Amino acid sequence: MQIDFKSRELTVKLVYYGPALSGKTTNLQAIHRLVSNETAGRLMTLETRDDRTLFFDLLPLTFNSGGGIQVRFKLFTVPGQVIHNATRRLVLQGADGTAFIADSQTSETRANREAFLNMQQNLRDNGIEPETHPVVIQFNKRDLPNIRSDAELDRMATRSKEPIYKAVALRGEGVIDTFLGLTDLTWRRLEAKHSLQEKFGLDPDEFLRDVRRRLGLGDGGTP
Amino acid sequence: MNDGVQTDSASVDIAMADIGRLEDVVDREALRDVCRSFFELFSLSVRVFSASGALLADVHEDQPIHAYLRQFARGRQALAQTVAEVTKADVRGRAPQRRVELTGAVYDIVPLDYQGRAVGRIVIGPYLPAEVREVPRQLLKLDPNIDPERVRDLLAQMPRVRKSTAERIVAHLTGILKLLLFSSHRAHLTSEMHLASVRENYRELAEKNAKLQAAYDRLKELDRLKSNFLATVSHELRTPLTSIIGYSEMLESGIAGELNAEQLEFVQTIHAKGDQLLALITSLLDLSKLEQGVMSIRSETIDPRALVDDIARTFAPAARKKGIELRTRVDEELPPIEGDPIRLKQVLSNLAENALKFTPAGGQVFFEAHAADFEEESDTEMGAVFFSSPRPAVAFVVRDTGIGMPAAELDKIFDAFYQVDGSSTREHGGTGLGLSIVKRLVDAHGGRIEVSSEIGKGTTFRVLIPSPE
Ligand SMILES: Nc1nc2c(ncn2[C@@H]2O[C@H](COP(=O)(O)OP(=O)(O)OP(=O)(O)O)[C@@H](O)[C@H]2O)c(=O)[nH]1
Ligand SMILES: [Mg+2]
Repeated sequence: MQIDFKSRELTVKLVYYGPALSGKTTNLQAIHRLVSNETAGRLMTLETRDDRTLFFDLLPLTFNSGGGIQVRFKLFTVPGQVIHNATRRLVLQGADGTAFIADSQTSETRANREAFLNMQQNLRDNGIEPETHPVVIQFNKRDLPNIRSDAELDRMATRSKEPIYKAVALRGEGVIDTFLGLTDLTWRRLEAKHSLQEKFGLDPDEFLRDVRRRLGLGDGGTP
Repeated sequence: MNDGVQTDSASVDIAMADIGRLEDVVDREALRDVCRSFFELFSLSVRVFSASGALLADVHEDQPIHAYLRQFARGRQALAQTVAEVTKADVRGRAPQRRVELTGAVYDIVPLDYQGRAVGRIVIGPYLPAEVREVPRQLLKLDPNIDPERVRDLLAQMPRVRKSTAERIVAHLTGILKLLLFSSHRAHLTSEMHLASVRENYRELAEKNAKLQAAYDRLKELDRLKSNFLATVSHELRTPLTSIIGYSEMLESGIAGELNAEQLEFVQTIHAKGDQLLALITSLLDLSKLEQGVMSIRSETIDPRALVDDIARTFAPAARKKGIELRTRVDEELPPIEGDPIRLKQVLSNLAENALKFTPAGGQVFFEAHAADFEEESDTEMGAVFFSSPRPAVAFVVRDTGIGMPAAELDKIFDAFYQVDGSSTREHGGTGLGLSIVKRLVDAHGGRIEVSSEIGKGTTFRVLIPSPE
């Protein structure tokens, strides 16, 4: 989180992490498509080869909240391919929250697990304590056959420390829910750490309601 | 970084991927070209300022009316004031603003936001809104020497634009400038990331090399120490011990003359204790190897049925002698597992030995292998959804109907040198090292050992060996 008192501006960094081809870039594309131009800026894709991310994608979201505070969210994706670990670690620098995009296919179980361990390691290497870092998990590609079953995920969700979301990012399903879940978790953690309410008069509940409204959702509903 | 900024991380530049100052990112040449083409299309003067007020592009045409009015003191003053207002206007995060000068011509001041941050402003004008038809009266009254005809003529040379057209032109220009900014930003980030990832890869490699070197040095040192230690232990301890055992055996066999009953008993005790000491030393060696991670665990396909049968065969004589019934049971369908057959046999033998030791005559001991689920126990609860999904495994079970153990002791039995109580060592023999070695061997297989027991009913050990992924 970057706080600029002079221009009353907060910048929050959210990172979409996960194994190669799990749909991180697709998540950002869907958010970009679903959110109004007033809130979402242009989606920046830095270097790709055959549609695989080499550096990162970046989607800026801006929320003018009450009290003249400008809240900027910067959504990043990392390159999922194993060899790009150095880049992944760079992109994870200074992350305030992470959405872990897992591939639901059973064949990807091991890749998910390894990417998750890799995330924990890279968080640690960046001086971020994984245990207190806000993380949500999205199981993407629910439209495919041979996936971990709904029943199994639901059962796991009750035991999981991280909130679990299901998505078909390609169709935009579950993408906004995942983002909101991450925003919620991250904002509450930042509030606890930086007392934003005290410093800027930003009420967390009000702010999060405002974010939902701007994303075209009611006060509590799903899209 | 400016004073008002507080950050969590050191290198914010790449971390947030923000552009610093407009002037550092945007290509001025390109910016000027864009402004010039606008000027040529619409005859509108364009100026672009950065957030800090630096003038980055300035394409304008001097207006003859301005030159004329500057001849008069009040005209000079009024024009200068408008220019000052235009340059100082605070448009951060606000809607476009407009300033009207004394000729009735206007300047539009449009904030330039990028990724939610004010980076500068565009100033368009002066131009006369097409809607303004009259020459402003106060302009004519500015100075007694002003020539109204002249003013009218010169004003006619001022560009005229309809309000709605001006808005469209401005929106278009803003859009193009943002696009220019976007691609400059992207080019900038791309080259920074190229550099940074090369640097990071290099750093990582260097670090890995250093670690490897350190590990290699440590291993070499460990190896030396270990060989020393092993050599010392086996030589300095085992050699005399073998002599003790050997000579007591000879005495026992009567080579040095007949022994009376009491002498024989003493010698047999020396012999038995010598054997026990040798076993203890061997166990200690195993333990130290396991602790240093130098015991090699081979990885071969394991046939659980063969393993169970082998154990049953090995312990059949001892069981018969003690009057204990041995039973085996192996599931038809078992997932494939890998491991070191010798070490796994060592594990099961150790458990079998204990089972026989603590089961009285008439009891039963079971050797079994079942299909089971293996759930990884991660040290953190993070990512449980990825780690607690069960893997297929084989559970080797050694179960007895012996004396059992109190529940409170169950956690401790895998600690080195632990025995449920001192008396059992005396009564049943053993070093208390067996189960700690068993546990380490099972760990080395990526598996887990579990125990359950009930006083007077018996004890069950379960060794889970997971299928390879
Ligand atoms: N069937 C299906 N395919 C999807 C879904 N989401 C993404 N994909 C596809 O999966 C492939 C990879 O998606 P990306 O978003 O590029 O994956 P990524 O995680 O950014 O991959 P890297 O950049 O290599 O790390 C693409 O072909 C997507 O169209 C989904 O919900 N269902
Ligand atoms: Mg990608």
